[in-house]
Amino acid sequence: MAVSESQLESGREPATEDEEEVEARVGWRYTVARIKRDTTARWGLYVVTIVLFVAIYAVVDSNLSLLTFGLLSDFTFARLLPIFDHPTHIPPPGEGTQHMPPYFPLAEQAWNPLPAGGTLEHPLGTDHTGRDYFTRIVYGTQVSVFVGLVSTFIGLAGGTVIGAVAGYYGGRADDILMRAVETVYSIPPLILIIVFTVFVGGANIWYAVLGVGITFIPVFARIIRSRVLSIREMDYIEAARAAGVKDRHIIMRHVVPNSFAPVLVYATLQIGVTILIVAGLSFLGYGAQPPTPDWGQMLNIAHGYMHSNVWLSIWPGIAIMITIMGFNLFGDGLQDALDPRIDD
Amino acid sequence: MKLLKYTIYRLLQAIPVLIGISVITFLLANLGPGDPVSLMLQGQEHSEELVRTIERRYGLDRPLHERYLTYMGGLLQGDFGQSIHHQRPVADLMINRVGPTLLLVLSAYAFALATAIPLGIIAANRRNEPTDHVSRIAALVGVSTPSFWIGIVLILIFAVTLGWLPSSGLIYPWRPPSAYRGIDGHLELYYESVRHLLLPMIALGTLQMATIMRVERTQMIESLQGEYVKLARAYGVPERTILRKHAFNVAQLPIITIVGLNLSTAIGGAVLVETVFNINGMGRLFVNAISTNDYQLVMGITMMLGFLFVIGVIITDISYAYVDPRVTYGERE
Repeated sequence: MAVSESQLESGREPATEDEEEVEARVGWRYTVARIKRDTTARWGLYVVTIVLFVAIYAVVDSNLSLLTFGLLSDFTFARLLPIFDHPTHIPPPGEGTQHMPPYFPLAEQAWNPLPAGGTLEHPLGTDHTGRDYFTRIVYGTQVSVFVGLVSTFIGLAGGTVIGAVAGYYGGRADDILMRAVETVYSIPPLILIIVFTVFVGGANIWYAVLGVGITFIPVFARIIRSRVLSIREMDYIEAARAAGVKDRHIIMRHVVPNSFAPVLVYATLQIGVTILIVAGLSFLGYGAQPPTPDWGQMLNIAHGYMHSNVWLSIWPGIAIMITIMGFNLFGDGLQDALDPRIDD
Repeated sequence: MKLLKYTIYRLLQAIPVLIGISVITFLLANLGPGDPVSLMLQGQEHSEELVRTIERRYGLDRPLHERYLTYMGGLLQGDFGQSIHHQRPVADLMINRVGPTLLLVLSAYAFALATAIPLGIIAANRRNEPTDHVSRIAALVGVSTPSFWIGIVLILIFAVTLGWLPSSGLIYPWRPPSAYRGIDGHLELYYESVRHLLLPMIALGTLQMATIMRVERTQMIESLQGEYVKLARAYGVPERTILRKHAFNVAQLPIITIVGLNLSTAIGGAVLVETVFNINGMGRLFVNAISTNDYQLVMGITMMLGFLFVIGVIITDISYAYVDPRVTYGERE
């Protein structure tokens, strides 16, 4: 890279006021301070924190851990993982419901005429099998948050590897990888995820999570690639290469960390999109399977009772909306906080 | 002439992508642990002989690459294979379903553009005023709400409670009025088709509207701060003219891109909205095909929807090149 003399000179000069300003506008502490000041980000953070708290509360709740129960009923391989292995919490199917605590989110009591709720015992009423709707909404948080985080992580990890390799090496590798990415991108996500879930795994939440993750590799790969393309030309990369550092090391140590800020923002916004898509997937019956309390799946069931109890169709939707809104607000705020060009 | 060349170039570029789509679809449908025959016979008792017969009938006993080539050969002649569940050609099943889906998606976009662009401009022009805050919150709610749930809520309000609008099905304006009972005359046909389309259109269009509005707002703000706007102001051009001409035109370019790229979300959303509103489009056909394990039909629909998306992106690319004089034809970065 050609560096002009004047550039070199200005580099040696003591930083002007302007540059100091710019310097102060990046970095972790500065970002946190800005998030605290930014109303949007703060509200996003509040909502996300509450949602996460509800999700975690439902995990550690003494009656049962639904993460283990709900997902276990979907996924047999989970037995291999010690964290999922809590057989004592799982009543055998068909029996034991009468021994369950009254607010056990899976305990079907009996057919009931769908009371409207508003009572102290059942603030949001019960569903068609007498399960407390509020409890199920609360436990549904877990599934949504889990799905959002894990599938976004899969997309992020896959996209980072592909994008970094394509951007760093360029040429043939770039061409092939980007064509592949473009192809996956060309199939509407929901369609691809359903085909993947049903034909590869059989409808259950784990394959749905994997499918969603894979489907979102292209978008992350594109962002990382474009960042890498500009970082690749930086002097410090050149310096590392001249010093004989291995490519893999350069990518992992220098290129990826430096291209992460915009990706982080995107990932936060993507969590919302994943939750949206998995809700749709469950609504169609290809995501979480009953009796797992999942919002999309609850809407699917409620669709059949639209004329007997309107509210069954309302609450899960509001829960989905608030959760996604939290992540979106936080992502928007984060974007502003990480962008040094934007003034407070 | 240059534009024509660019169009042809973009169409040629789409070929490898379309081949890629077919490979992915084919592999997913054929390589998964659930092979087509056992999916077809799910739950039924069957002899080894029956499996062989079915395999021979659908050519499943041949090696994978051979089957792929046969399939692709058929595709080139417009033959998408036979639907296993319906026992009819896949192309026949799809041909009647494309119309409703296109009608739904296009009207959703019309709704989104017609509302989002004015709102985005107003928000940008009154930045940080109450109007701006309200429209930003609306956009946030719009991108955070599942389309199918909006559909459900709309049905609950306008169909179940108020009884103003129908809650299911579509009336197709291209059919003769005599095809529907109780409708006489074209005027009533159009009126009824609009009434049926209104709710699904809003349900599907809201997400697009919110996305477009956010982009429009940012673009307008950026464009209003541009040097050319400052210059126009310095020349004493009235603010309205600046807003309408100088700032507006430039800000629309990214909207075209967004519309093209969001098409895949819209097509996915159509699957859900069609399910909620019982519209017999591609989406519902897809859901039925999946639930009956009709892998030929699933492959056909996936190909078709991928194809629609690619065509949509090409159309937006070309219109982009048409609108923006800076785009160089036939060259990519």
